[in-house]
Amino acid sequence: MKKITRRELIKQLGASALASGLMGASNQAFAKNSAHIVIVGGGVGGAAAAKYMRLLNADVRITLIEPNPEYIFCPGSNEVVIGLDTLESLTVNYHTIKSRYAVTVIQDRATEIDYANKTLKLAHGDIIRYDKLIVSPGPDFKYDAVEGYSKSLAERDFPAAWHAGPQTNTLRDQISALPQGGTVLITSPVDPYRCPPAPYERASFIANKLKLTNPSAKIIILDSKDDFVFHDVYLDFWKKQHGMGTENARVEWISKKNGGHVTQIDTKRRTLTTANGEVHKGHVINIIPPEMAGSFTRMNGLTEGDWAPFNSLDFSTKRDKDVYIIGDSAAADPMPKTGYIASNQAKVVTKAIQSELTGQQIGTPFITNNCVAMASENWGMTVAETFRYAGNNRPYEERYTLSDPTSNPYQQSIRAEVAKNWQRTFRKDIFS
Amino acid sequence: MMKHIIIKNGMMNKTLLMIGMVCALHSPISSAVTGGMSLEENDRLRNAYPVPTGAMLGDNCSACHGTKGAEFNEAMPPLAGMKKAHFIKLMKTYRENAFTSIVMHDVAVVFSDVEIEAMANFFVQQKAEQWTQPNWNPSLKESQP
Repeated sequence: MKKITRRELIKQLGASALASGLMGASNQAFAKNSAHIVIVGGGVGGAAAAKYMRLLNADVRITLIEPNPEYIFCPGSNEVVIGLDTLESLTVNYHTIKSRYAVTVIQDRATEIDYANKTLKLAHGDIIRYDKLIVSPGPDFKYDAVEGYSKSLAERDFPAAWHAGPQTNTLRDQISALPQGGTVLITSPVDPYRCPPAPYERASFIANKLKLTNPSAKIIILDSKDDFVFHDVYLDFWKKQHGMGTENARVEWISKKNGGHVTQIDTKRRTLTTANGEVHKGHVINIIPPEMAGSFTRMNGLTEGDWAPFNSLDFSTKRDKDVYIIGDSAAADPMPKTGYIASNQAKVVTKAIQSELTGQQIGTPFITNNCVAMASENWGMTVAETFRYAGNNRPYEERYTLSDPTSNPYQQSIRAEVAKNWQRTFRKDIFS
Repeated sequence: MMKHIIIKNGMMNKTLLMIGMVCALHSPISSAVTGGMSLEENDRLRNAYPVPTGAMLGDNCSACHGTKGAEFNEAMPPLAGMKKAHFIKLMKTYRENAFTSIVMHDVAVVFSDVEIEAMANFFVQQKAEQWTQPNWNPSLKESQP
């Protein structure tokens, strides 16, 4: 490991780092000249990496680079859309990560990796030397996949609301203001994207709200796919609760092969046009764009195609063995892009780093995604998904079991309780 | 994810047929959709590489059971400090689907005896106290601001 004196590091980090608690938290680590683990991105993957690295090693220096002072959890944000929860209750800060786990949190945007010198440049000009760099920036949207759509439209009248934040509240307000008998259009993107069941959970939640306040309203899901996870459970729910298949269906799902793939938006007419030329008019239009790896990943040559490939044993990138990729930006198929997966990838990476630092062989990785979704507060579903290591240059092998439709209300309800329980415990696991 | 052909219980091969029958016997209100690798393939991969450590396996449980299995406030029970024999018996009972549950049968079915024991060893070493105590690591506390 490179020896970095305290003075050098202060010089590299600049005064902003001192203000963010670097001096106190890392005194002991400085004395031991221990390795410096730097993490780009303070979402679920990055925060889990910081915490679980500290659980393994009291001496390493850990620095987390994140431009935002707070993080808003995505799980739970569909509840916000229908007023069952608020963004405030999904918001966490980095105080516990800093104080309990002695992590230096720098509020800035990472821009450039200098692989040869093992340094990271930040937007405000600071340069940080790393021994190990864990990259977890989350995905970016391909707004231009729908002609006429853009980031600025998403931030105004046509929210994507796919990362919990102001757009979530915009969508909530639009749903509340929907005229009687109005139409909500939701587009669902091609795989892979963050949280595969969430477009269908969102459509279900909105339908549940409108059933009470605006029963003649309609929700149309325009899908760029022919199938989706929990398809059977959602179809069953929509039939039983929202008249799917009847004249008065509140929810309609149009698959790709039935003309659901949206190619264009006309913001003046408030219409979406699909690949087969059909035009749908919506009072509320929620476009969930397709995704690609975050720009930090792409700008630093970590991606092949849309995502960043890695070595399966330890999630080190194909580009550089000391730079790791986790979370939604990783080319981790067949793993879905969930916070659950990101946090478990973080645990694999931190164990691999700890093995390397202590001169031990890296152990066999193992990852699960035992995740949840809901159709309503009383109608839940679960997936138990295991990923086994199948060789360093091969994808993980997946086995999964999904909830099936059930007419047993107790089973529907207890699955929903499991889902709510999971949300609470998961947030605590990552940020406290 | 989940691009493999979805195999309805008991329809595609003998192993799944047997699982289907077991489900039918023990879990009449539940049927499940299973896909991806078969249990034989799961066994083969399990045997092809060293057993993951107890921590590697056990840390996967934290999203539901809390960090180090030490979440004591929620519906899903804590695992931290659980007696080894109890953990092993429970996991094997789930694995055989002899104890109806929401997800634990589907979670447990992929693990070998050795893996279950490794997890049992991991959890019995964790303090049976709500995660986290402010002084979870005294050496760190001293260096904090």
